[in-house]
Amino acid sequence: MRISLTAACTGRYSLRLQHRWIALIVTSAACFAQTSQNPLAGDPNAAAGGGAAFRPYCTPCHGIRGEGGRGPDLTRGVYSAGDKDSDLFNVIANGVPGTDMAAFADQFREEDIWRIVAFVRSLARHDMAPMAGDRAAGEKLFWGKGGCSACHVVNGKGGRLGPELSRIGRERSLAFLRESVLTPSADVQPEFATITAVKRDGTKIVGIGSLDNFTVQITDAAGNYYSFERSDLASSTRELKSLMPDEYGRSLTAAEIDGLLAYLVSLRGVEAAR
Amino acid sequence: MKPAAISMTLLFAAFAASTVTEQQLREAQSDSATWLTYGKNYLGWRYSELAEINTRTISRLAPRWIHQTGASGSHETTPLVFAGRMFLTGPSNNAWALDLLTGKEVWHYHKAPPAGLSMCCGEQNRGFAALDDKLFKVNIEATLVALDARSGTVLWERPMADYKKGYTATGAPLIVKNKVIAGMAGAEFGTRGFIDAYDASTGERVWRFNTIPAKGEPGVETWAGDSWQHGGGSTWVTGTYDPELNLIYWTTANPGPGMDGDVRAGDNLYTNSLVALEADTGKLKWYFQFTPHDTHDWDAVEDPVLIDIVRQGRKVKAVVQANRNGFFYALDRTNGQFLFASPYTKITWATGIDANGRPIVVPGMDPTETGTKVCPGLGGGHTWHPTSYSPQTQLFYFNSADGCQLFYRNKQEFHEGQWYQASTEAAIPSEPPTGTVLAMDPTSGNPRWRFEMVSPSPGGMLSTAGGLVFTGDGEGYLIALDANTGKPLWHFQTGGEIIAPPITYSLNGKQQIAIAAGTSIVTFALTP
Repeated sequence: MRISLTAACTGRYSLRLQHRWIALIVTSAACFAQTSQNPLAGDPNAAAGGGAAFRPYCTPCHGIRGEGGRGPDLTRGVYSAGDKDSDLFNVIANGVPGTDMAAFADQFREEDIWRIVAFVRSLARHDMAPMAGDRAAGEKLFWGKGGCSACHVVNGKGGRLGPELSRIGRERSLAFLRESVLTPSADVQPEFATITAVKRDGTKIVGIGSLDNFTVQITDAAGNYYSFERSDLASSTRELKSLMPDEYGRSLTAAEIDGLLAYLVSLRGVEAAR
Repeated sequence: MKPAAISMTLLFAAFAASTVTEQQLREAQSDSATWLTYGKNYLGWRYSELAEINTRTISRLAPRWIHQTGASGSHETTPLVFAGRMFLTGPSNNAWALDLLTGKEVWHYHKAPPAGLSMCCGEQNRGFAALDDKLFKVNIEATLVALDARSGTVLWERPMADYKKGYTATGAPLIVKNKVIAGMAGAEFGTRGFIDAYDASTGERVWRFNTIPAKGEPGVETWAGDSWQHGGGSTWVTGTYDPELNLIYWTTANPGPGMDGDVRAGDNLYTNSLVALEADTGKLKWYFQFTPHDTHDWDAVEDPVLIDIVRQGRKVKAVVQANRNGFFYALDRTNGQFLFASPYTKITWATGIDANGRPIVVPGMDPTETGTKVCPGLGGGHTWHPTSYSPQTQLFYFNSADGCQLFYRNKQEFHEGQWYQASTEAAIPSEPPTGTVLAMDPTSGNPRWRFEMVSPSPGGMLSTAGGLVFTGDGEGYLIALDANTGKPLWHFQTGGEIIAPPITYSLNGKQQIAIAAGTSIVTFALTP
């Protein structure tokens, strides 16, 4: 089934950086739905077709059943970029700037994107129980006893050593957030890897930063910044391991963790103007 | 002498100095002052006899001038140097002649790419070829253009294929006799690859070798049904040439669709292959397929470098390649006979290469809907980035990405001019890849040394009689290594990602190094 004039696309081309190890799909295409409703909404085969495309392209972040992971949980039927079919189309086509969501306008034809929209709609479960945790208690924990704010910014306040969490509820699934709290090193973004430098006098400096073939830059937990020639150090290493403590599963009760997760899920950032 | 006669003489002298003859190309290795062709010489060595910059003097190497091109996009060019100028190409149909002394622009060529291009990998370009007073380059919309080297004026432009069907072009052409040899790109869009030869004077096409045989041609039986029609096999990296054998060696890319092999059962000739073509006719002399029925996008476009090696007491005219599939290969370049292969990085998809050169494949390594972990990843091993062979050390230098990726596939219908890979791939977050510069003994396939890098490097190689290997990395460092040991001797942060290979030449008797970094060209020379 060929669909005409349901989207306006310009500057279609993609850049797959084959010279880099990670074959990122970067695109300058802009492709916007011209109709708010999926023109394939009545097609019983649309969701199945979309699922075939969803599996290889979307599951690495959204999970094989759309349950989420590094990308948002799509089974909740609530989407950060808006709930109309056209909102989903535009996100798939153009990505979401500032997030890991890439643009796929050059990977798929317009009708294929609508098929993926149909599949995403088919994943939604509307019988989900509300979050079990006490959000208010979780917020108090985050800013107090939990010590989370020492390293994480929420709406402009907090420390800078860990990822900003102002809109983490839009960007990560509940399961991913739970895993991140209990086993922080399970999936670490490269920019939050642990960098360790040992000076020749034995002084050890640990933090986040960058390490290239010749130099290393580190910001430690106290906010101190260091930069060294690696040849001047006794050793310098980068581990894909989080600096976040991995003891919250033991030091917090189950109810406290649920509350903390309820608070994190509630962090939706400022609504982007659409 | 009358003033008019003087000016005519000077004009003639300037004109003569702006030309590159076929003989100069054949003898390019002996002219260290210039860089006349993509691989420095026809054999693809990227080795210079210049030795002023060497293991003892390297600490005095410093920037000389920087030219900012102003063009956004990936700069992957191998500049040509002759007649007091540097000739380089950039992304999006840009090219320049720069004054060799100052880096000042002499002329700038630009043609706006058409809208609606289908491209896998951006609008980059890898360089010029030169013959007589002409420069030749491909444009991204799959045309071949000839420029006047003195002015940048367009002399002729010929379409190679229809960009609306997914054809593009990015590689530097190769001059062989009076012909311009050029390849295409676009295997990701269901195109059918070819290698073309054009008359350098007129731009008329002299021959074409289709890398995917059509119905009725030998090799089409390696494609199920009509799948050959969209078989890919693009030819986006410059080949090499043996004047004695009069054979052109050119490599081919992945089959289409890249990761769904079910729709194209068979070996899929001549994808992921090295083909040896008779230079005058384009007739296939022999072929060698590295990865039959590839499902991991392991183009075989890596440099086919021509060296003579000794095997079992016998001197063999060989062609060597660090293939993207993770194996280093040596073949007899007179007949394509397999000599040996050896792994240079972690490989999980094959246990080895058999006596005929065919991979001994591990079952279950094809991409799946849920992802299959395979090593190496999509980028190889080594991919297109230029390699170097030093006759001084008798070592072959190249970079390698060391790690694994997840390979996915899905079913996809073919639609003309549209993405047709039926696939994607993903990094494994917990297993970030690393990189290596390898010095390989090409007679044995054993690495002599490795320079470990924190991440895979996209830079190319240059080796010199100064006992040095130059390369760049993704963080922007131009690096000099001891060619015998791999010890890092010097580095400079250029401020831009290095994807291009370094070159060297001399100016007023002083050795220079040049590299495209970010969106600039940076040159270096020794300080007093």
